[in-house]
Amino acid sequence: MKRNLRIMVIDDENIVGKRLKPALEKEGDIVETFTDARNALERFSEQQFDIVVSDIRMDDIDGLEVLEQVLARSEKTKVIIITGYATVEVAQEALVKGAFDFIAKPFKPNDLRTIIEKAAKELGR
Amino acid sequence: MNITSGEAPIQTDDPQFSHHGLGEEYVEDIALKSRPIISIRFRLFLAFLVIFAFSMIVALWSIYALSEIQVKIRFLEAAGNYLTEIQQARRFEKNFLLYGTNLEDSLEHLRTAESILQKNKDTIEKILGRNSIQGMSLQLNNYHKVLEKVGEAGDTEERNRYEPELREYGGQLVSDATNFVVKEREAVEDALSLSRRVPFYFLGILMVLIIVITSFLVKNILSTLNRFLEYTNRIGEGDFSPILPKRKYRDEFSQLGLAFNHMIRELDKRHKILIESHKLRAVGTLVAGVAHELNNPLNNTMLTAGLLEEDFERLPDEEKLDMVQDIIKETERSKVIVRNLLDFARASDYKIIAMDLENLLEGSIRLVHNRVKLAKIELQMKLTPDLPPVHGDEQALQQVFINLILNAVDALPPRGKITVTDSKSSQAGFIEIKVSDNGPGIPEHILPRIFDPFFTTKVKEKGTGLGLSVSQGFVRRLGGNITVESRVGGGTTFTVLLPTTEVPSSVSAAPSP
Ligand SMILES: Nc1ncnc2c1ncn2[C@@H]1O[C@H](COP(=O)(O)OP(=O)(O)O)[C@@H](O)[C@H]1O
Ligand SMILES: [Mg+2]
Repeated sequence: MKRNLRIMVIDDENIVGKRLKPALEKEGDIVETFTDARNALERFSEQQFDIVVSDIRMDDIDGLEVLEQVLARSEKTKVIIITGYATVEVAQEALVKGAFDFIAKPFKPNDLRTIIEKAAKELGR
Repeated sequence: MNITSGEAPIQTDDPQFSHHGLGEEYVEDIALKSRPIISIRFRLFLAFLVIFAFSMIVALWSIYALSEIQVKIRFLEAAGNYLTEIQQARRFEKNFLLYGTNLEDSLEHLRTAESILQKNKDTIEKILGRNSIQGMSLQLNNYHKVLEKVGEAGDTEERNRYEPELREYGGQLVSDATNFVVKEREAVEDALSLSRRVPFYFLGILMVLIIVITSFLVKNILSTLNRFLEYTNRIGEGDFSPILPKRKYRDEFSQLGLAFNHMIRELDKRHKILIESHKLRAVGTLVAGVAHELNNPLNNTMLTAGLLEEDFERLPDEEKLDMVQDIIKETERSKVIVRNLLDFARASDYKIIAMDLENLLEGSIRLVHNRVKLAKIELQMKLTPDLPPVHGDEQALQQVFINLILNAVDALPPRGKITVTDSKSSQAGFIEIKVSDNGPGIPEHILPRIFDPFFTTKVKEKGTGLGLSVSQGFVRRLGGNITVESRVGGGTTFTVLLPTTEVPSSVSAAPSP
């Protein structure tokens, strides 16, 4: 049952991390949350993550940049983008740039879990 | 010219005044159209008619004067002949006295003179007067009689007796005739010199006439043109009230006025459409922004509630309480966003009324009193007494000042200070209200962005970034403005420029948006 996936959650809304951490950890994964993309990327260079979940709209570094930098460092990491408002263009851009999938706010913990499960399957876990 | 509303086009006897296809009758045009017509064309015609009439009078006078001179010259000829006849008669008289010859010739000349006198009696009477003509013919008569008597006398001696009498009458006759000729010549000369001078008088008077008439017409036309210049300025400034007649008659300018009114209506219509589309665009950006802004608290609520649902049985009470509190907090946050959106949307049905500034500011301060006290901030209001009333929507204006004060509260550390003061504006008809704080100030690089919708430097839960943009939008709509002055470390001052209602018309004339 234990997958032991390393999951990173980045959203400048601190409640997102606060709630997603326990919700995702239930599956036996290791979850780290960040409200600042810069800190998250720093952490990423010390530690590989299997899955990165990132908000698309953040003040300093936005989700698409996170996506690029993560993929540059670790090709096999699955990046899931959280979009504030589901515009087709942004979603498409994210997918073209190599995002695994996207999820539109507002969502329930379970919606994200489903996507993560798919990603886990692709990762072979 | 009759006006029957609803029944376009209006027919006039002048083709210039035919309706140019405006299609409809407008109330504001009726006054313009109902004036009697005195067209510029007619006025020009009248002016030239006056000049023409004057020229004609002068021409007629000239013709008359010339024919008079002609008559006088002819008469002068007659007078000359008369004088010659008298002189001839006298010459023959002398011959007769000396040699006893030529009496018949003398009498002949006298008779000719008499007939000349008789023929020109009326004219001479007119020139010399009744007495003179009577004197003249009397003397001629006397001379004639004496001459005849001399003819009847037998010898030289007897003839010589009559000589003094003859000389007296004859001399008198000659001098009278000479006098008469001289006088007549003078008269002719006078008439000639007058007719020489009259053209100059005429030219002078014509000049004055032309100057007077032209300046009158020009003043008339220029003043109307200037009025239209004012209209264009006024329209340019966005005053779309129709043009009303300022004169008691109508002319081509009234036609222009009607065209202006037509243009004003069109501009007004287009302007409204433009405002509407601007509003739509603003609402569009706003809605996109709001959708995004709302998604964050909604997502937080959804995640928290979702987790609460999943783990409801297992979670300790305090954890559940924290989650419920988070849900309430995020819902609050949504509420603020929605309220700001409503404020923005409400901008279309503001009620513009005149109100007392002091009351308004006191009301705003009362509403934020608690927040100010909690943040341990000192809020002072120093207003000049008897401020002029301003006009606007009371609630919206209150919201403007509340936004400014709360922004200052957010920026200030405990024991910070906020002052609300008024100052005279350099623009007439405006007043300035300043909201100052001694807080950290606004960095130069973000200063140009603080009025942008959704621009905020505050943490997600505290700011929406709508306060200043909504306030600015509202104040601008009133014709005012909000400006900011700030120095890092030197505090911030927001200045709200508001139109006062000292001029009552500015209240009623303010287009209700
Ligand atoms: N008195 C002030 N002192 C410092 N900064 C200010 C002040 N007023 C406004 N600001 C800046 O302008 C930004 C925009 O303000 P506003 O439009 O009211 O939105 P909000 O208050 O929701 O952030 C604020 O986030 C803040 O950075
Ligand atoms: Mg604000």
